[in-house]
Amino acid sequence: MRACLSVFRLRLRLETQYRGAALGGIVCQIFFGLILSALYRALYFGKPQVRPLAHVITYVWLQQAFFRMLLSSDGDLMDKIRTGGIAYDLCRPLPLYGFYYARIMAQKLMGSLLRAVPMIIFAALLPGGWGMGAPASLPALLAAAAALVLGLSCVCAMENITMAFTMRTLDPRGIQAMLNLLMTILSGNLLPLTLFPDSWQRMITLLPYAQLLDAPIRLYTGEYALGQAPQVLLLQAGWTAALIAAGCWLWKRNQKRLVLQGG
Amino acid sequence: MSYIHVQNLSKRFTVRKKREKGSLLREKEEVQALRGVSFDIGQGELIGYIGPNGAGKSTTVKILSGIMTPDGGEAVVGGQVPWRERKTYVRRIGVVFGQRMQLWWDVPILDSFSLLRDIYRVPEEAYQARLSELTEALSLKDILRTPLRQLSLGQRMRAELCGSLLHRPEILFLDEPTIGLDAVSKLALRDFLRWENREHRTTILLTTHDMEDISALCSRVMVLGHGSKLYDGELQDLLRRYDRTRTVDIRYGREGCVPAVPPSVVMEKNGDGFRLTYRPESYPTADLLSALQQAGPIREMTVQSQNIDHLIADMYREMDL
Repeated sequence: MRACLSVFRLRLRLETQYRGAALGGIVCQIFFGLILSALYRALYFGKPQVRPLAHVITYVWLQQAFFRMLLSSDGDLMDKIRTGGIAYDLCRPLPLYGFYYARIMAQKLMGSLLRAVPMIIFAALLPGGWGMGAPASLPALLAAAAALVLGLSCVCAMENITMAFTMRTLDPRGIQAMLNLLMTILSGNLLPLTLFPDSWQRMITLLPYAQLLDAPIRLYTGEYALGQAPQVLLLQAGWTAALIAAGCWLWKRNQKRLVLQGG
Repeated sequence: MSYIHVQNLSKRFTVRKKREKGSLLREKEEVQALRGVSFDIGQGELIGYIGPNGAGKSTTVKILSGIMTPDGGEAVVGGQVPWRERKTYVRRIGVVFGQRMQLWWDVPILDSFSLLRDIYRVPEEAYQARLSELTEALSLKDILRTPLRQLSLGQRMRAELCGSLLHRPEILFLDEPTIGLDAVSKLALRDFLRWENREHRTTILLTTHDMEDISALCSRVMVLGHGSKLYDGELQDLLRRYDRTRTVDIRYGREGCVPAVPPSVVMEKNGDGFRLTYRPESYPTADLLSALQQAGPIREMTVQSQNIDHLIADMYREMDL
């Protein structure tokens, strides 16, 4: 436990060092936020849709603000697995799953906070019809915050499974390319999940990808009523627990069959 | 009862190969990395473990550090089987893989050390004491707050070594710790290992290709080749066994002087002089000297024994490695 906390703190601090990268990310994500907002405004002026435009634009901004939480992986950790530097972690008295989980979480947490805070302020200051809207209510905001924490826990569990697979294949690129595609589509990053056909949504919102940002955002905008919140949080927690269990199992197996190659 | 007891250790790997150039098919090939290696090491020994690339040295280290499970044989280190009681066992050992990094690239090395302190749950007081001891011995004082990426290779290796020793391991496995280091760093590292071994009775198994490391540090060496142990004993005995030839470089005061030596002496032209290689046991040095003197006035002459790298190369050749 002490080791996990320690690596969490260290990785948090390390992430704050990459300020240039954070700034670049903010500029890029603001650009995409504006483009997508313009796109949906044009779409709605052409043919109004059922979902309110303000919700969609808020959705877009929140997705962009927390982009780093979804699509980023710990390059150092990947390299360690690929080059065999992981040998050091294997000859330590460590619970490997927890150790890497803490490390991944610290990176995603600090990486997205560094970007999300300035971006949310920016998006809130934009003129009406372009910027981010206020939460449906204070309880809705709190429910959304709780859901965001669960979403983060869930995405870290997913990432840790990717790491476990990387240890098998030694090259993360193939599986990452595939998973990133699934991630951008099914998490609502490319197109808000609220704009998918209703019959699709019933399915997609049950998948783990929808638990990451889609669920918190819907609670924030009021798309999910407060009464639904316990059910939403429960689904998130269920997925998180299942993915953590799967990850633990994979890492245990990895440790058993491990062969380190080369001098 | 010895401290490290290894009996009949064996390990096999599967290597995938392309069948032939351009072929898409792969075939599997079994490589026997260790074929029944046995040895015993006492507490506080500093032992050299040598052998050509691919001999199985690193595999042994990986098995003894609990990372890898052998296919057969047994190993008991300090009363524990490394791969069975991994979690409690690894607390007692330190490992340095010379070609890999354990410290974090982008943070000051002191922060990496704190992480190691927490991983091994070293109490703060003990940690501070050990850290200042190691900082002193490895002269790390001025670079503790520097990120690893800004250190030279020698500084980095000293820091890595410090990281592996913070939890006061009883046993230290070193896998090529001096790889790529300059002369000064090598000497400093050797001094430190000698000190650590003497001061704390740390048992050290040193794997290296640098024979100077071995001759400076270890009295006992084990030679591994093709997964089997070929020699285990005093370094001096090993050298004596293979150190059988001497080389003489000679130049004469005038042209046309050619010494008359028997065919057992290899003579070749060397610039405006000669180089002669002979074995004192088959052609006594005194005989050679008189033969050389009879050929004419000697201007200059040097006699050399073989350097240790050549010896080892000869030994590997003789053992067919």
